[in-house]
Amino acid sequence: MAKAAESLGEPGTTWPRPLMRDLKAVGKKFMHVLYPRKSNSLLRDWDLWGPLILCVTLALMLQRSSVDSEKDGGPQFAEVFVIVWFGAVTTTLNSKLLEGNLSFFQSLCVLGYRILPLTVSMLVCQLVLLAEQGPINFMVWLFVVIVMFAWSIAASTAFLADSQPPNRKALTIYPVFLFYFVINWMILTFTPK
Amino acid sequence: MTGGACGSAGGSEEEGYAGRGLGLGLVLVLVLGGTPGGPPGPRRVEGLGLQPRGRGPASEGVGWGCAPPACLPPLFGVPQALVDDTEDVSLDFGNEEELAFRKAKIRHPLATFFHLFFRVSAIVTYVCCDWFSRSFVGCFVTVLLLLSFDFWSVKNVTGRLLVGLRWWNHIDEDGKGRWIFEARKASPQRSAATEAEARIFWLGLVICPLIWTMFFFSTLFSLKLEWLALVIAGISLQAANLYGYILCKMGGERDIGKITASFLSQMVFQTASPRDFQKPGLKGLEIHKH
Repeated sequence: MAKAAESLGEPGTTWPRPLMRDLKAVGKKFMHVLYPRKSNSLLRDWDLWGPLILCVTLALMLQRSSVDSEKDGGPQFAEVFVIVWFGAVTTTLNSKLLEGNLSFFQSLCVLGYRILPLTVSMLVCQLVLLAEQGPINFMVWLFVVIVMFAWSIAASTAFLADSQPPNRKALTIYPVFLFYFVINWMILTFTPK
Repeated sequence: MTGGACGSAGGSEEEGYAGRGLGLGLVLVLVLGGTPGGPPGPRRVEGLGLQPRGRGPASEGVGWGCAPPACLPPLFGVPQALVDDTEDVSLDFGNEEELAFRKAKIRHPLATFFHLFFRVSAIVTYVCCDWFSRSFVGCFVTVLLLLSFDFWSVKNVTGRLLVGLRWWNHIDEDGKGRWIFEARKASPQRSAATEAEARIFWLGLVICPLIWTMFFFSTLFSLKLEWLALVIAGISLQAANLYGYILCKMGGERDIGKITASFLSQMVFQTASPRDFQKPGLKGLEIHKH
């Protein structure tokens, strides 16, 4: 979404080149979440496709598999969707209002891509639940969830805190912490029917 | 807009009577008025084998950065357009293939098809999902996927190919973001947009968000709130494209009232007496040729 530098008149640039360009950009950002490095150019080229994919994947995994309309168990698909996007927008607005340097969509992009570790922990949760439910499995799973939670927060703090004036860092980081905590809570309390 | 001497002369007289409240009127006029952007004079001239004049204020490859709401004045305004009109117009009898390509009503059939395909199938899937499967999630994900494909293809491909417009967000070295809107100036070497393609493009771009807005109200009032997330996602994706392309189309002109006035005046003159309007156009070009 950020760059659209395809020239207007060339007949050769139909869909494959922009598509490959965008797919590569999304892939690069995912790698960057896994192996964080100080890279300003990557941050400038924002896009929201990664967060969309992650949100849909997370919502699919958190969805209850039952056909009955019982309310206990995992949250509904649309609830997860709304919570993730609404939470991300609110947190971004907060950092924007605190006079951060990043633009709105950049912050949204950063926050959204850092949901990747949480999605990974959800995957692990699914795998653990497929295996036998026992205390050891639960311990492993809890450990993974905590590590991924810390990873998400550390990764986004590195970007967002740099763009804030020093006395406002805590004010920016706390909503981010809360946002990831809520998502983690949904993952932790997930019990399929 | 600033497409040519004929259009701007007509527009300045009629500035007074259209206000900002006719923003929707602008959109409807874009849809109903046929070729958006250029005054009808150059379009009439196409039949003589001359190339249509440029439309849009930006020159080739140079975008004018525009960060809403404050906007920089366009780099190339009316003087550039006048210079274009006084250039010699070349009668291009190039090779047969090029001529056939230019005469074709739809030059990019694949782009036109996909422009409409994703939008219409998203709407159809949303309406008919109850018939295909009971699964809420399947329908949600399918419609969301179709909307995303539609957003990407309209923004990156069909706008560029069908009407020669593009828009994106550029972030400077110091982290400031700004939105850039560009319109392609047609030249003899490159193919300009045809009427049919432009009409299909704008019709598709305008009607689908309106349909999604209708869905929004129907979902709200029937209290099917779990679908509201999907409808809101649909509206925001399609409205983003619509807004971006309208800003491209408006060029440097930030006053919606003026744009609406000039378009409405074109409409009025066209429907009232098309022949009378045709003559001044041809006369103007004859003068410029000599």
